[in-house]
Amino acid sequence: MINLKINVNNTDYEIEIDEEKRLIDLLRDELRLTGVKEGCSEGECGACSVILDGKLVNSCLIMAFQVNDSKVVTIEGLSEGDNINYIQKAFIEAGAVQCGYCTPGMILAAKAILDKNPNPSREEIRMGISGNLCRCTGYEKIVEAIELAGGYLNGTKTYRE
Amino acid sequence: MELKHIGNSIDRIDSLAKVTGKAMYPQDYYVDNMLYGKTLRSIYPFAKINIDTREAQNLPGVIRIFTHNDVPNNAHGVLHKDQLVFCKDIVRRIGDPIAFVVAETEKICEEAIEKIKVQYEIMKPVLDPIEAMKEDSIKIHGDSNIVYHFKLRKGDALRALEESYFVATNTYKTHSIDHAFLQPEAGIGYLDENGNIAVIVATQYPHYDREEIAYCLNLPIENIRIINSNVGGAFGGREDITLQVHLALAAKTLNRVIKCVYSREESFLAHSKRHAMIMNYSTGVDKEGYLTAVKAEIIGDTGAYASWADNVLRKAGVHATGPYIVPNVMVDSYAVYTNNPYAGAMRGFGATQVAVAYEQQMDILARELKMSPVEIRLKNILKVGSITSTGQLLNNSVPLENCLRSVTE
Ligand code: FES
Ligand code: FES
Repeated sequence: MINLKINVNNTDYEIEIDEEKRLIDLLRDELRLTGVKEGCSEGECGACSVILDGKLVNSCLIMAFQVNDSKVVTIEGLSEGDNINYIQKAFIEAGAVQCGYCTPGMILAAKAILDKNPNPSREEIRMGISGNLCRCTGYEKIVEAIELAGGYLNGTKTYRE
Repeated sequence: MELKHIGNSIDRIDSLAKVTGKAMYPQDYYVDNMLYGKTLRSIYPFAKINIDTREAQNLPGVIRIFTHNDVPNNAHGVLHKDQLVFCKDIVRRIGDPIAFVVAETEKICEEAIEKIKVQYEIMKPVLDPIEAMKEDSIKIHGDSNIVYHFKLRKGDALRALEESYFVATNTYKTHSIDHAFLQPEAGIGYLDENGNIAVIVATQYPHYDREEIAYCLNLPIENIRIINSNVGGAFGGREDITLQVHLALAAKTLNRVIKCVYSREESFLAHSKRHAMIMNYSTGVDKEGYLTAVKAEIIGDTGAYASWADNVLRKAGVHATGPYIVPNVMVDSYAVYTNNPYAGAMRGFGATQVAVAYEQQMDILARELKMSPVEIRLKNILKVGSITSTGQLLNNSVPLENCLRSVTE
């Protein structure tokens, strides 16, 4: 067992955890942040994406002991109750959500894109989500959702009522 | 008139839960003191087996190991009850379930699985469906490997082919495909406050799952509850039983909460595939480019179990001539058992594979007649007033011509 300090979604935790556990296990099994999804366990699908110290990572590929003193953002950190953020709004409005299993990771990938550039081209969006698989939508509406979210961010689009 | 829904985009009812990460899939349920379950699966495609669980059972933390001995009616499958909850003396494919270990942690389950001794007496597998169809082939189930045969006859196709200006004869093959839905199978089994068996699972068929559990465990259907969580994609791959009966059996026997989560690899092993097909086509045409006849033999490799093969091969047969007017038709489609991964439902249900054959036949005929691929299609596509290969008069909307013209203009 090891002890680690971690800040997740703006809350500080001190956790005792098995050294064999991965970051995804820490988030799901210990903190019950089950919006972090496991699809492949080997870095292929991006369903387990979280933002670790500002960077999009696959939480299935990182050991828990590696994140001591880090700051993590999961999908649960983007909204408060039903008060959802602009990317989540755009995903709903553009119809970018089907089965929903890729959605948390996809929204965090979108956040990583838009945090750097509120005006991404479709090409940049596609590159930005290239580590996130979706088996349902065919990606088209996800790309549209991220463009729409960019519009909300830079003020060229306003929220639908 | 203002319509409320038609012409407007409507938000999915569950999209708020999904964008916030609150939507629950079976792996997202955690219960204090729950147990874990894991499946031991065959590593050979065809073998006689002998199982010894004694050493594994003695491992600290192992609660119970379930095998064929524990299942009152060891058979499932909606159309054909040819699958076993746990294999008894024969495994018919790689991935066939042999035992279900229930233990205090997933890690102990894995250790116990290592300790179960399975003696495999390996048999030569039947992997080629054409071989499997032969009289003297080794039989996977019963006395024939042909589990389903669909015949379609219209006019006199053999004669019409003989009298055709040109006949294209070719063989087309499509391969097996996995649905690869993003959420691997998972489930929770428990007894509810009334003593009924409850299984939380992501399924396409809660009603059939319920019937199959009731049958396998020999219980009245009223005692079984299936709670369909959010379903992380399915595409036909959740139309068969995977862990439902295992969890129900464990919950009933142990009166504990049991959770089981498949890895991606186990998910590939556990559920069906798209049928690989071999399609032998002869398509005849007259001098002007009008189709005269199609003769097709379609062989679907259903692997070790039939699953939804009847529906899939029927649909392949019904759609064998595509969206074209064909006056003479002779189609035979077959579902054939082999020791390959089992095939079942997947988007299109058999209509998808045959398009590979009938559309390439059209291109080949067009080239032979020095006609454009669009022109030959415009001559032959179904229109209002056409009669399909199955004898249906199309008297309503058939906008194929519009479609073809608008994509080619
Ligand atoms: S579960 Fe981590 S990338 Fe697929
Ligand atoms: S919505 Fe199902 S995987 Fe993306």
